[in-house]
Amino acid sequence: MAYIISDEAQDLLNDLKKFCDQEVVEQAKEFDKSGEFPKEIYDKAIEQGYTTLEVPEEYGGPGLSRVDVAALIEQMAWADAGFATTISASGLGTKPVLIAGNDDQKKHVCDLLLGGGFGAFALTEPGAGSDPGSGTTTAVKDGDSYVLNGRKCFITNGGVASFYCVTALTDKEAGAKGMSIFLVDRDTPGLSVGHEEDKMGIRLSNTTDVVLEDVRVPAENLLGKEGEGFKIAMKTLDQARAWMGVVSTGLAQRAMDEAIAYTKERKQFGKPVLKFQAMQFKIADMAIKIEASRQMNAYALNLMDMGKPHSREAAIAKCFASDAAMWCTTEAVQMFGGYGYSREYPVEKLMRDAKIFQIFEGTNEVQRIVTANNTIGRF
Amino acid sequence: MNILVCIKQVPDDSVEVSMGKDGKPEIDGITPVVNAFDTYALEMATRLKESLNDGSEITALCVGPESAKNSLKNCLAVGADHAYLVNDESIDDIDSIGIAEVLKNAVEKLAEEKGKFDLIFTGKEATDAALGQTGIYLAAKLGTAVITNIIDVKVEDGSIEAKHETEEGYRVIEAAMPAVLTVTKPEYDPRYPTIKNKMAARRKQIDEMNISELSALDEITAKIKKAAEYEPPKRSAGIKIKEESDEESALKAIQMMVEAKVL
Amino acid sequence: MRKEDTTNNILVYVETVDGAPVKAGLEALTPAHILSEKNGGEVIAAVLGKDISEAAKRIAASGADRVITVDSEELAVYNLDAYADILRQIIEKEKVDAVLLGGTVDGKDLAPKLAAVLETAAVSDVADIKIEGEKTFFVTTEYSGAIYCDVSIDDVRPQIATIRSGAFKKPEGASDGKLENESLKVSDDVVKAKVKDTVKEITEAVNLEDAEIIVSGGRGMGSKENFGLVEQLAKILGGEVGATRPAIEEGWIAKNHQVGQSGKIVSPKLYIAAGISGATQHLSGITGSDYIVAINKDEDAPIFSVANVGIVGDAMKVLPVMIDEIKKIREG
Repeated sequence: MAYIISDEAQDLLNDLKKFCDQEVVEQAKEFDKSGEFPKEIYDKAIEQGYTTLEVPEEYGGPGLSRVDVAALIEQMAWADAGFATTISASGLGTKPVLIAGNDDQKKHVCDLLLGGGFGAFALTEPGAGSDPGSGTTTAVKDGDSYVLNGRKCFITNGGVASFYCVTALTDKEAGAKGMSIFLVDRDTPGLSVGHEEDKMGIRLSNTTDVVLEDVRVPAENLLGKEGEGFKIAMKTLDQARAWMGVVSTGLAQRAMDEAIAYTKERKQFGKPVLKFQAMQFKIADMAIKIEASRQMNAYALNLMDMGKPHSREAAIAKCFASDAAMWCTTEAVQMFGGYGYSREYPVEKLMRDAKIFQIFEGTNEVQRIVTANNTIGRF
Repeated sequence: MNILVCIKQVPDDSVEVSMGKDGKPEIDGITPVVNAFDTYALEMATRLKESLNDGSEITALCVGPESAKNSLKNCLAVGADHAYLVNDESIDDIDSIGIAEVLKNAVEKLAEEKGKFDLIFTGKEATDAALGQTGIYLAAKLGTAVITNIIDVKVEDGSIEAKHETEEGYRVIEAAMPAVLTVTKPEYDPRYPTIKNKMAARRKQIDEMNISELSALDEITAKIKKAAEYEPPKRSAGIKIKEESDEESALKAIQMMVEAKVL
Repeated sequence: MRKEDTTNNILVYVETVDGAPVKAGLEALTPAHILSEKNGGEVIAAVLGKDISEAAKRIAASGADRVITVDSEELAVYNLDAYADILRQIIEKEKVDAVLLGGTVDGKDLAPKLAAVLETAAVSDVADIKIEGEKTFFVTTEYSGAIYCDVSIDDVRPQIATIRSGAFKKPEGASDGKLENESLKVSDDVVKAKVKDTVKEITEAVNLEDAEIIVSGGRGMGSKENFGLVEQLAKILGGEVGATRPAIEEGWIAKNHQVGQSGKIVSPKLYIAAGISGATQHLSGITGSDYIVAINKDEDAPIFSVANVGIVGDAMKVLPVMIDEIKKIREG
């Protein structure tokens, strides 16, 4: 049960698979060790147009449905979850503009993406993780511009983005209601890249602090209106979460594929260990979780394509798929036995990669809150 | 310049073929792809077209089944401007000479509508049969020069100069156009199709001719008859060594080699 | 030509390099004898070039019944069109039943070229010949060597075939073939492509086909530096260095070291494969080896299915131990 996709997406998927097999899968092993950002891999992906999948057709994108794109992103995640995260996080950084921006703003960021750039969404702050309303970054209106000050952290693509969607308080007293979002280009004076995280997994992605010191942006870089920032950020995350479900599913699929390949070959007690039902049941449970994840992702993405509410479905998909990825990768390590714990075998990396998906773009605890709120309703 | 690239659709050569129950190689389940050497030919032709930058066009031509249209679309995404399929589903007993005869007739027919081809590129061989004959037959039938196994080509004042790879290096060979060039692996790899080019290629028309419109079937029936196809005898696997450390494994292997008297 | 118009003789084109016959050409004399003995014909060798009388003598002593030498200035540099034209003239005069060529780069070009001008058919890369009654079957391979195929040329003559290098041994024992000189001229207007320059990039001779020991490395060796371990082991064992296509494409070693379907088909007493996973392309070139030792990290690698001894491990750790141990054995 793969995603049901268009013929053209299937065709692109075949190309992408070849690309990933030749340019990503093996190379990722070394970059996982070094933690270096593999610019040469991304340059090739950019050349192919793989970083512009989410650009709307009217701004020069490929015009694929979200489920079509999901099949492609899943394949990237299968090859390397960090690789898929970079590309997906660029989509995340673009979403506030697509949700709330005007035509000029949309054209601006889409042109940057088509020109080979990445986007980044700068919401999280040292003191504002699951509670983004408690942020301290400010934007002060000064004539025809705003001046931003503050520090953002854990920003995916922080060091490699061409543009950032930065949340900042335009009214410090109003809390979340005083939050606004600004489109800030990388080369804006005062914006600098701070500390780079040395991460446990998804090491082909770049995660840094983004520091704003008297960053002056023209007033027209405000997305939507003053005070709409929190709402836009939440809408952004509602959409982005389903994509994290998609990446998680690719990672889980990889874990299952590796586990099947290994246990078919590994012999104990005179036969391949996959002949044992204990192993077969683990594979069955992986398959069940993976397929369920995929359908949840597809449902949330279809709702988005149809312009229907999807907060609950996206939260469910992200939460379930990332828990599934954690479970599948952990079980894959178990099925490899001692070799699973060795860095010479592929599955320990998958387990390290999986953990973050339960944490970022809303922890799974937050996903459960969103799900509960949207399920129970007000009472 | 008017450039033709002849391609063949073959089963993906990274998949091992085995014999089917019907006494024929089982290839139905293997993804059909453009023959690797033909992809090199198309890449070389495309690089030539780009370097000339004078409005030169590339036509891709394939003799193959209906499904080869997909292979042709892949060619349209990586450099070809037009694509033609000669549907050969009505004939199954054809060899390289027959294919070259069909190609010759197709080349002459296409020349009526598009003008004569200056250069005809193709792979030095196909990965399925690996005969390495079609390009040479085609040149002989067209009465043109052929330069085989090329790794590079230059066009100067209406003639071409190509590097023909040999076992120790290469020969520089010169010929007048039109000419047939068969291509081996150059120093570069074929480009991947970009999403944009792929989407555009999918929308392009692939013109189709039937093989029987081009050649009388009795003229292209194979002269080489296949009597039997079978798998070669397989070696049986020996012992796998996997000791605690690689060093111990190496020592054990040496011991076995000494016992087998191969050292 | 029709079958009834031919003699029972077989022609072998023996290529020369620097005035000496190439091995693949001499090897082709062996299947030529198999064919000629069927109906009691002669094996005629053709040798073309400039200053090739020594080569002709060697061929006459190596199993040919007759050797036709065409020694002329216009053949000094190999040219496909010119050589094919001279061979056509010899074939039309001798009316041979079959023409065999060594499966070299040039042989593989000449065979279809001759088939085209003589309106007959050519078989490529023949690994064996089977005679069943009146019929001759050429054994060829398809799908990177995964499938063998018996084919015959029934209705047209001469039958033309290129013989896979290493598939047959050179004829054993001495012979005393008759030497004949022909002064043939290249016909007008046949030469359509001209060789302007010949560049030799590889000077070191590699004789994989005759080697008793071959140590080969593949993609798994990881770098040119690591590939040096393969070369070291080969040196200590007094063997040749082989390589897979990926290792050659990476530039770790020259392309004349390639073993496999598109390189050399080998049959040493000992074949050591390091960091080679074992694609069909490669395996089909080594299955004639007496004893295969494989070293690969990946326990599932197909190379292990043909290896007498398979070491599941890191070649970078295994090879140095082997080098040390074999040094000790050799010294002790």
